[in-house]
Amino acid sequence: MDASMSDADVAWLRTRQPFASLDTAAFPKSTPLEGILRNDCRLMRCEPGEVVVREGDYGSSAFLVLAGSVRVVMSSLPAANLGRGEIEKLSWGEAVRSWWNQSKHAEARSIDQVTVGDEARVGSVDDRPTIFLQDFAAVLRNHETLVLGPGELFGEVAAMYRTPRAATVIVDEEATLIEIRWQGLRLLRRDPTFALQLEQHYREHWLRQHLKEIPLLRHLPEDCLDRVEAATELHSFGRIEWNADFRKSQTLSPREQIESEPVVASEGDYPTSLIVVRSGFARTSRIHGSGHQTIAYLGSGHLFSLTEIAIACLQEEPQRPVGLRQSLRAVGFVDTLHIPIEVVAADIIPHVRRSELPVEAQEFVRRSRTAPTDRRREVRARENTKLPILNPHDVVTQTGNHSDRTAQLEFLVQHRLINGAEAMVIDLHRCTRCDECVKACATTHDGNPRFVREGVIHDRLQFVQACMQCVDPVCMIGCPTGAIHRHAETGVVQIQESICVGCGVCAASCPYQNIRMMPVNDTQGRPYRDGKSGLPIMKATKCDMCQSQPSGPACVAACPHDALTRINLTETAPLLHWLEQR
Amino acid sequence: MSTILTHSISLSFRGRRRASIAATLAVILMWVVGAYFVDVSLGRTSIYSGVTLLVCLFALTLIGLRKRLIMLPLMSVSTWVQIHIYTAMFACVAYVIHVPSIIANGYFESVLSWLFIVVSVSGFYGLYTSRTAPKRLTALSTQVRYDRIAWHRDQIVIAAKKLLDQLPETPDRNVLASFYQTHVQPHFVSPVKFLYLMRPTTTKKRQLLGALADLDRYMDARVRQAAGKLAALIRTRDELDYQYAIQFRLRAWVILHAAMSLLLLVTSIFHAILVLGWMGS
Repeated sequence: MDASMSDADVAWLRTRQPFASLDTAAFPKSTPLEGILRNDCRLMRCEPGEVVVREGDYGSSAFLVLAGSVRVVMSSLPAANLGRGEIEKLSWGEAVRSWWNQSKHAEARSIDQVTVGDEARVGSVDDRPTIFLQDFAAVLRNHETLVLGPGELFGEVAAMYRTPRAATVIVDEEATLIEIRWQGLRLLRRDPTFALQLEQHYREHWLRQHLKEIPLLRHLPEDCLDRVEAATELHSFGRIEWNADFRKSQTLSPREQIESEPVVASEGDYPTSLIVVRSGFARTSRIHGSGHQTIAYLGSGHLFSLTEIAIACLQEEPQRPVGLRQSLRAVGFVDTLHIPIEVVAADIIPHVRRSELPVEAQEFVRRSRTAPTDRRREVRARENTKLPILNPHDVVTQTGNHSDRTAQLEFLVQHRLINGAEAMVIDLHRCTRCDECVKACATTHDGNPRFVREGVIHDRLQFVQACMQCVDPVCMIGCPTGAIHRHAETGVVQIQESICVGCGVCAASCPYQNIRMMPVNDTQGRPYRDGKSGLPIMKATKCDMCQSQPSGPACVAACPHDALTRINLTETAPLLHWLEQR
Repeated sequence: MSTILTHSISLSFRGRRRASIAATLAVILMWVVGAYFVDVSLGRTSIYSGVTLLVCLFALTLIGLRKRLIMLPLMSVSTWVQIHIYTAMFACVAYVIHVPSIIANGYFESVLSWLFIVVSVSGFYGLYTSRTAPKRLTALSTQVRYDRIAWHRDQIVIAAKKLLDQLPETPDRNVLASFYQTHVQPHFVSPVKFLYLMRPTTTKKRQLLGALADLDRYMDARVRQAAGKLAALIRTRDELDYQYAIQFRLRAWVILHAAMSLLLLVTSIFHAILVLGWMGS
């Protein structure tokens, strides 16, 4: 990660906590502790006011404070303060010039582009111009901050769960930090003490913040929140490297596939806790015939078993508890928070507005409190009124992504397309198979399209093999140089070609086969070869959403028949809306 | 009109079509009123309509340039296609008003008229086929990329050969092998006929499957099973040919329409130069 990490630095780190107390025996010979510190860490010396991580950025590393202190800003800062600007795009002239000067051979590079220079270090991927916070004192005055001192870790949640940073961290006093790549963090978690420390750290610093972000808990008094925080349990289901099992699970029938998914809660069981999805995906299903029918899929922030718990809590007289009407299963991997039912009943439900409860729970309350004749009148009145437009951030919609199109829902979950934030979808009833999208992609990417117009088909929709810019980009697992990373602001997964060693790990890790290894050629079309092995130099290629092009994604711009779109499949609404327009 | 057709407006396709037709009709009406005023003010309506047509032809050919400069944010190509369709409809009305008869007299003028009509008809054919062909292709059991069809055809030949090679040498196997050699293999290795490209039919498939079914009585269960697999390959080949024909037609149409449009533009410019020359003299 940092070529300047010397043996002395590693030895010095071994004297500091938490590395001093780590058990070297917990690490296999292939990945010794010293090796992790040397290859997956780098030392940073930061000035006061320097922004270390920005809220909303995608980061692939955690930071440990070795000396000095940093401040975590608990509320959002204005984008301008954080040095956020427009993504640099080519000007019209530059774009046309680049097209005009394009080599007639695909993936042609000049000799400078394939020669490793001094600047092509792994660390250079994450390097960006240092940002200093303007008027640091005013920020301290106007925002709640949390001071982290030596031995404290931050950024580990975003790094481990491949999620955006939850808060901005600014250097308070001149600080020495160690940045640990998430690959290193994953290896360090093999030490049970370190893993426990990580969990304790999350519980101490982040759990409360995450609980506050749940719309259901937004009006909770502080003392109730304290009790909720103390009672909340952290659980994980499935494997975080779920891509390893994905291909095998694809060979199973849909019925076997759903049965093979780790069960978080079973239909019919009495609810014991309110489950909040922290990261990953889960699906709710109901027994239908001799199989399971998918009802919805849940992502970060969604709740499970709220309806049943609310009904149980709102019963005027103690009756038989209501069993879970659906099962919850991890789709690949899911990380959850469990709030015990007693705490929900005592500290949450009394502070939740009835209108914020799930529709079924509201119905239950209304039915139990109205006479039969009133009920009939009410039903008629309801039929005559239009349904309200739901705000996606409301509690009501926090119970998952539902859809009337059950088959489509099943398909999306079965193929794990719900991971795609920018999935390429083609309406086959409009697509003339002209391949203008492919040609446009090739025009903007060195004469080589970054996707194949093939993919799984459901009804009239084809989900094309183009990088979906996944919410959980498992392709980043195992990249030895960190060449594949997320753009800090847009979340687009991109490859830093100068440090891509062409090992193909990302291509093998991508469960959707959306990364392709390509040989790079000179301007005459001859492949560059490795000096030692004589083999062609390969580079990983994938869709980059045409971030540098003034037109945006060329595939969308080029489709003559409105057949192609890039769509967020982590929610059901965008796809349903797109289909309604057809 | 372009504002109505802008991609960002969230109209359904039906709503967009209605709005575009309404806008086109309004423009036609205004243009016809304009032509009337030119006429009553003793102006030359043929110049008025001719200039309009030439401008339309320029605008219609610009879509080709837009497709090449895809990296520039000049509205999506689908928006351009919508503008192209309704401008072309307007141009048809302008043409009817511009010409004294649908096919003008004189060699050069009649060539120009024919070119306009051919390009217009091809445009309407393209509109129809680009809306109907996708559904026909989607209805097929597999979706194959045009550039991969040849590879899939080769795979069918390989699969058929393997199927026969796996059968033990028996008299009924020879019946199937002989049928394959004489009827099926020539079909598998031959390219798609031009007539089929123009009008795909299932005649060949039905002939082969019928003949194969007739051989049933000469085969035992094992060879009959192989014959069933061969029948599946014949169906697959037929589906591939169908996909090829439809996709080929769509591609050939784009090339022909673009080439004829360019020719029409050049001829129209020449016509305009002649007219200006004649007016000058």
